[in-house]
Amino acid sequence: MSETASAPVRRSIPRTTKKKKRRNQLPIALIVLAVMIAAGILLSIFKSPTVGMFLMFGGCFGFVLQKSRFCFTASLRDPCITGSTSLTKAVLIAFALTSIGFTAIKYSAFASGQTIPGMSYVQPVSLATVVGGVMFGIGMVIAGGCASGTLMRVGEGFHMQVLALVFFIIGSLWGAHDMGWWNLNVIADSPRIFLPDVFGWMGAIVIQLLIIGCLYIAADLWERKKMGIKDEE
Amino acid sequence: MAEYELDCMGEACPVPLMKAEKKLKDLKSGDVLIVHIDHSCAMKNVPEWARTQGHNVEVDEVDDGEWDVIIEKA
Repeated sequence: MSETASAPVRRSIPRTTKKKKRRNQLPIALIVLAVMIAAGILLSIFKSPTVGMFLMFGGCFGFVLQKSRFCFTASLRDPCITGSTSLTKAVLIAFALTSIGFTAIKYSAFASGQTIPGMSYVQPVSLATVVGGVMFGIGMVIAGGCASGTLMRVGEGFHMQVLALVFFIIGSLWGAHDMGWWNLNVIADSPRIFLPDVFGWMGAIVIQLLIIGCLYIAADLWERKKMGIKDEE
Repeated sequence: MAEYELDCMGEACPVPLMKAEKKLKDLKSGDVLIVHIDHSCAMKNVPEWARTQGHNVEVDEVDDGEWDVIIEKA
Protein backbone atom coordinates (compact mmCIF):
# COMPACT_ATOMS: atom_id res chain seq x y z
CA MET A 1 0.00 0.00 0.00
CA SER A 2 2.88 2.37 -0.52
CA GLU A 3 3.16 2.99 -4.24
CA THR A 4 4.38 6.53 -4.31
CA ALA A 5 4.26 6.95 -8.06
CA SER A 6 5.64 10.31 -9.02
CA ALA A 7 3.52 10.61 -12.14
CA PRO A 8 1.32 13.69 -12.04
CA VAL A 9 -2.08 12.65 -10.81
CA ARG A 10 -5.03 14.86 -11.46
CA ARG A 11 -8.00 14.15 -9.35
CA SER A 12 -10.43 14.28 -12.24
CA ILE A 13 -8.65 11.53 -14.16
CA PRO A 14 -10.49 8.28 -13.62
CA ARG A 15 -8.27 6.05 -11.56
CA THR A 16 -7.23 2.76 -13.00
CA THR A 17 -7.61 0.65 -9.87
CA LYS A 18 -9.65 -2.35 -10.78
CA LYS A 19 -13.08 -2.20 -9.30
CA LYS A 20 -14.38 -5.35 -7.81
CA LYS A 21 -17.75 -6.22 -9.14
CA ARG A 22 -20.12 -5.55 -6.32
CA ARG A 23 -22.82 -7.92 -5.33
CA ASN A 24 -26.33 -6.61 -5.61
CA GLN A 25 -27.59 -6.38 -2.04
CA LEU A 26 -31.17 -5.53 -2.91
CA PRO A 27 -32.51 -9.12 -2.64
CA ILE A 28 -31.00 -9.41 0.87
CA ALA A 29 -32.55 -6.09 1.83
CA LEU A 30 -35.96 -7.22 0.62
CA ILE A 31 -35.67 -10.51 2.51
CA VAL A 32 -34.70 -8.67 5.72
CA LEU A 33 -37.59 -6.25 5.25
CA ALA A 34 -40.00 -9.16 4.73
CA VAL A 35 -38.69 -10.90 7.85
CA MET A 36 -39.04 -7.69 9.86
CA ILE A 37 -42.61 -7.16 8.69
CA ALA A 38 -43.46 -10.80 9.46
CA ALA A 39 -41.84 -10.54 12.90
CA GLY A 40 -43.73 -7.31 13.54
CA ILE A 41 -47.07 -8.90 12.64
CA LEU A 42 -46.34 -12.01 14.72
CA LEU A 43 -45.27 -9.91 17.71
CA SER A 44 -48.40 -7.80 17.43
CA ILE A 45 -50.60 -10.88 17.42
CA PHE A 46 -48.86 -13.03 20.03
CA LYS A 47 -47.21 -10.46 22.27
CA SER A 48 -48.76 -7.03 22.10
CA PRO A 49 -49.23 -4.40 19.39
CA THR A 50 -46.85 -2.10 21.27
CA VAL A 51 -43.93 -4.48 20.78
CA GLY A 52 -44.68 -4.63 17.07
CA MET A 53 -44.69 -0.86 16.96
CA PHE A 54 -41.35 -0.73 18.80
CA LEU A 55 -39.85 -2.94 16.11
CA MET A 56 -41.24 -0.70 13.38
CA PHE A 57 -39.90 2.48 14.98
CA GLY A 58 -36.56 0.81 15.68
CA GLY A 59 -36.23 -0.23 12.05
CA CYS A 60 -37.10 3.23 10.77
CA PHE A 61 -34.75 4.89 13.24
CA GLY A 62 -31.89 2.63 12.20
CA PHE A 63 -32.53 3.32 8.55
CA VAL A 64 -32.52 7.08 9.05
CA LEU A 65 -29.46 6.88 11.27
CA GLN A 66 -27.46 4.92 8.70
CA LYS A 67 -28.54 6.92 5.67
CA SER A 68 -28.04 10.30 7.28
CA ARG A 69 -24.68 9.33 8.84
CA PHE A 70 -25.99 10.91 11.98
CA CYS A 71 -23.55 10.43 14.83
CA PHE A 72 -23.99 11.74 18.34
CA THR A 73 -20.36 11.01 19.10
CA ALA A 74 -19.13 13.09 16.18
CA SER A 75 -21.48 15.90 17.13
CA LEU A 76 -19.53 16.39 20.34
CA ARG A 77 -16.09 15.23 19.21
CA ASP A 78 -15.64 16.97 15.86
CA PRO A 79 -15.85 20.49 17.30
CA CYS A 80 -12.79 19.62 19.36
CA ILE A 81 -10.84 17.88 16.60
CA THR A 82 -11.59 19.82 13.45
CA GLY A 83 -13.95 22.56 14.54
CA SER A 84 -16.71 21.23 12.33
CA THR A 85 -20.07 21.67 14.01
CA SER A 86 -22.46 20.59 11.28
CA LEU A 87 -23.50 17.50 13.28
CA THR A 88 -23.61 19.49 16.51
CA LYS A 89 -26.11 21.82 14.89
CA ALA A 90 -28.09 18.85 13.56
CA VAL A 91 -28.32 17.39 17.07
CA LEU A 92 -29.38 20.76 18.50
CA ILE A 93 -32.13 21.04 15.89
CA ALA A 94 -33.24 17.50 16.78
CA PHE A 95 -33.31 18.48 20.48
CA ALA A 96 -35.38 21.55 19.70
CA LEU A 97 -37.90 19.54 17.66
CA THR A 98 -38.22 16.80 20.28
CA SER A 99 -38.59 19.41 23.03
CA ILE A 100 -41.57 20.87 21.21
CA GLY A 101 -42.98 17.41 20.53
CA PHE A 102 -42.61 16.17 24.09
CA THR A 103 -44.04 19.39 25.50
CA ALA A 104 -47.05 18.98 23.22
CA ILE A 105 -47.60 15.38 24.34
CA LYS A 106 -47.12 16.13 28.04
CA TYR A 107 -49.09 19.35 28.02
CA SER A 108 -52.05 17.80 26.25
CA ALA A 109 -52.12 15.06 28.89
CA PHE A 110 -51.76 17.65 31.67
CA ALA A 111 -54.47 19.91 30.22
CA SER A 112 -56.99 17.10 29.93
CA GLY A 113 -56.27 15.99 33.49
CA GLN A 114 -54.66 12.66 32.62
CA THR A 115 -51.43 11.44 34.15
CA ILE A 116 -48.51 12.92 32.26
CA PRO A 117 -46.73 10.15 30.30
CA GLY A 118 -43.04 9.50 30.75
CA MET A 119 -42.66 11.23 34.11
CA SER A 120 -40.61 8.31 35.47
CA TYR A 121 -37.84 9.47 33.13
CA VAL A 122 -37.45 12.70 35.03
CA GLN A 123 -34.38 11.44 36.83
CA PRO A 124 -32.55 13.01 39.77
CA VAL A 125 -29.87 15.48 38.77
CA SER A 126 -26.63 15.40 40.71
CA LEU A 127 -22.89 15.21 40.38
CA ALA A 128 -23.41 11.58 39.36
CA THR A 129 -25.00 12.83 36.14
CA VAL A 130 -21.89 14.85 35.33
CA VAL A 131 -19.47 12.06 36.23
CA GLY A 132 -21.49 9.54 34.23
CA GLY A 133 -21.62 11.88 31.26
CA VAL A 134 -17.87 12.38 31.23
CA MET A 135 -17.24 8.64 31.52
CA PHE A 136 -19.71 7.89 28.73
CA GLY A 137 -18.11 10.59 26.59
CA ILE A 138 -14.61 9.15 26.99
CA GLY A 139 -15.91 5.67 26.24
CA MET A 140 -17.82 6.62 23.14
CA VAL A 141 -14.90 8.46 21.58
CA ILE A 142 -12.59 5.48 22.14
CA ALA A 143 -15.19 3.00 20.89
CA GLY A 144 -15.94 5.20 17.89
CA GLY A 145 -19.63 5.49 18.52
CA CYS A 146 -22.35 5.90 21.10
CA ALA A 147 -24.98 3.23 21.64
CA SER A 148 -26.98 3.83 18.48
CA GLY A 149 -23.89 4.54 16.38
CA THR A 150 -22.20 1.34 17.50
CA LEU A 151 -25.28 -0.73 16.70
CA MET A 152 -25.57 0.90 13.29
CA ARG A 153 -21.95 0.21 12.36
CA VAL A 154 -22.12 -3.37 13.55
CA GLY A 155 -24.96 -3.68 11.07
CA GLU A 156 -22.76 -2.15 8.40
CA GLY A 157 -20.18 -4.83 9.09
CA PHE A 158 -17.49 -2.89 10.90
CA HIS A 159 -15.65 -5.57 12.85
CA MET A 160 -13.95 -3.53 15.53
CA GLN A 161 -17.25 -2.28 16.84
CA VAL A 162 -18.58 -5.79 17.30
CA LEU A 163 -16.04 -5.84 20.12
CA ALA A 164 -17.36 -2.49 21.35
CA LEU A 165 -20.88 -3.91 21.26
CA VAL A 166 -19.89 -6.98 23.30
CA PHE A 167 -18.42 -4.82 26.06
CA PHE A 168 -21.28 -2.37 25.75
CA ILE A 169 -23.65 -5.23 26.57
CA ILE A 170 -21.43 -6.46 29.42
CA GLY A 171 -21.24 -2.94 30.81
CA SER A 172 -24.97 -2.40 30.52
CA LEU A 173 -25.74 -5.67 32.30
CA TRP A 174 -23.25 -4.89 35.04
CA GLY A 175 -24.69 -1.41 35.35
CA ALA A 176 -28.23 -2.75 35.55
CA HIS A 177 -27.11 -5.26 38.19
CA ASP A 178 -25.61 -2.61 40.46
CA MET A 179 -28.05 0.16 39.65
CA GLY A 180 -30.13 -0.53 42.74
CA TRP A 181 -27.20 0.16 45.06
CA TRP A 182 -26.15 3.34 43.27
CA ASN A 183 -29.72 4.52 43.18
CA LEU A 184 -30.20 3.96 46.88
CA ASN A 185 -26.88 5.38 48.08
CA VAL A 186 -25.88 8.04 45.59
CA ILE A 187 -28.63 9.12 43.25
CA ALA A 188 -32.00 9.00 44.97
CA ASP A 189 -31.49 11.93 47.38
CA SER A 190 -30.87 14.40 44.57
CA PRO A 191 -33.69 16.59 43.33
CA ARG A 192 -35.80 15.63 40.34
CA ILE A 193 -36.26 18.75 38.28
CA PHE A 194 -39.11 18.93 35.83
CA LEU A 195 -38.81 22.31 34.13
CA PRO A 196 -42.57 23.00 33.74
CA ASP A 197 -42.90 22.73 37.54
CA VAL A 198 -40.30 25.45 37.92
CA PHE A 199 -41.02 27.86 35.10
CA GLY A 200 -44.52 26.88 34.02
CA TRP A 201 -45.24 25.14 30.73
CA MET A 202 -44.71 28.13 28.49
CA GLY A 203 -41.65 29.31 30.39
CA ALA A 204 -40.06 25.87 30.27
CA ILE A 205 -40.32 25.49 26.52
CA VAL A 206 -39.24 29.08 25.85
CA ILE A 207 -36.21 28.79 28.15
CA GLN A 208 -35.25 25.41 26.69
CA LEU A 209 -35.49 26.70 23.12
CA LEU A 210 -33.56 29.84 24.04
CA ILE A 211 -30.73 27.74 25.50
CA ILE A 212 -30.68 25.52 22.41
CA GLY A 213 -30.71 28.63 20.22
CA CYS A 214 -27.74 30.09 22.10
CA LEU A 215 -25.85 26.80 21.77
CA TYR A 216 -26.62 26.78 18.05
CA ILE A 217 -25.23 30.27 17.61
CA ALA A 218 -22.19 29.34 19.71
CA ALA A 219 -21.62 26.23 17.56
CA ASP A 220 -21.84 28.29 14.40
CA LEU A 221 -19.40 30.90 15.69
CA TRP A 222 -17.05 28.17 16.90
CA GLU A 223 -16.97 26.59 13.44
CA ARG A 224 -16.28 29.92 11.74
CA LYS A 225 -13.53 30.72 14.22
CA LYS A 226 -11.81 27.34 14.17
CA MET A 227 -12.03 26.79 10.46
CA GLY A 228 -11.45 30.41 9.53
CA ILE A 229 -8.11 30.47 11.34
CA LYS A 230 -7.02 27.28 9.64
CA ASP A 231 -7.79 28.73 6.22
CA GLU A 232 -5.21 31.43 6.68
CA GLU A 233 -2.36 29.08 7.48
CA MET B 1 3.26 16.06 -7.54
CA ALA B 2 3.41 12.76 -5.79
CA GLU B 3 0.70 10.39 -4.80
CA TYR B 4 0.58 9.01 -1.29
CA GLU B 5 -1.60 6.36 0.21
CA LEU B 6 -2.81 6.07 3.74
CA ASP B 7 -4.24 2.79 4.92
CA CYS B 8 -6.91 3.35 7.54
CA MET B 9 -8.79 0.09 7.11
CA GLY B 10 -10.42 -1.02 10.32
CA GLU B 11 -9.77 2.25 12.12
CA ALA B 12 -12.71 3.83 13.88
CA CYS B 13 -13.94 7.30 13.43
CA PRO B 14 -11.55 9.97 14.60
CA VAL B 15 -8.39 8.02 13.72
CA PRO B 16 -8.53 8.27 9.89
CA LEU B 17 -9.23 11.97 10.15
CA MET B 18 -6.34 12.64 12.49
CA LYS B 19 -3.94 10.51 10.44
CA ALA B 20 -4.99 12.30 7.27
CA GLU B 21 -4.57 15.65 8.97
CA LYS B 22 -1.07 14.73 10.11
CA LYS B 23 -0.03 13.25 6.79
CA LEU B 24 -1.40 16.12 4.76
CA LYS B 25 0.80 18.58 6.65
CA ASP B 26 3.93 16.95 5.18
CA LEU B 27 2.60 17.03 1.64
CA LYS B 28 3.42 19.71 -0.89
CA SER B 29 0.78 21.66 -2.71
CA GLY B 30 -0.60 19.63 -5.59
CA ASP B 31 0.26 16.29 -4.01
CA VAL B 32 -2.48 13.72 -3.81
CA LEU B 33 -3.34 11.71 -0.73
CA ILE B 34 -5.52 8.66 -1.00
CA VAL B 35 -7.03 7.54 2.28
CA HIS B 36 -8.46 4.03 2.38
CA ILE B 37 -11.26 3.76 4.91
CA ASP B 38 -13.99 1.32 5.83
CA HIS B 39 -15.67 3.27 8.59
CA SER B 40 -18.78 5.02 7.40
CA CYS B 41 -18.36 7.92 9.79
CA ALA B 42 -14.90 8.77 8.43
CA MET B 43 -16.40 8.72 4.96
CA LYS B 44 -18.31 11.81 6.01
CA ASN B 45 -15.98 13.75 8.25
CA VAL B 46 -12.70 13.33 6.35
CA PRO B 47 -14.06 14.86 3.10
CA GLU B 48 -15.94 17.52 5.05
CA TRP B 49 -12.85 18.56 6.94
CA ALA B 50 -10.63 18.52 3.82
CA ARG B 51 -13.12 20.62 1.84
CA THR B 52 -13.25 23.30 4.51
CA GLN B 53 -9.47 23.41 4.34
CA GLY B 54 -9.79 24.24 0.67
CA HIS B 55 -8.52 20.97 -0.79
CA ASN B 56 -10.04 19.16 -3.72
CA VAL B 57 -11.76 16.02 -2.52
CA GLU B 58 -13.31 13.05 -4.19
CA VAL B 59 -14.86 10.02 -2.56
CA ASP B 60 -14.89 6.73 -4.37
CA GLU B 61 -16.71 3.68 -3.06
CA VAL B 62 -14.37 0.91 -4.13
CA ASP B 63 -16.32 -1.90 -2.54
CA ASP B 64 -19.31 -2.36 -0.28
CA GLY B 65 -18.43 -0.33 2.78
CA GLU B 66 -14.93 0.55 1.59
CA TRP B 67 -14.06 3.99 0.37
CA ASP B 68 -11.11 5.86 -1.05
CA VAL B 69 -10.98 9.51 -0.14
CA ILE B 70 -8.81 11.27 -2.68
CA ILE B 71 -7.49 14.58 -1.43
CA GLU B 72 -5.50 16.92 -3.63
CA LYS B 73 -3.68 19.38 -1.43
CA ALA B 74 -4.46 22.95 -2.32
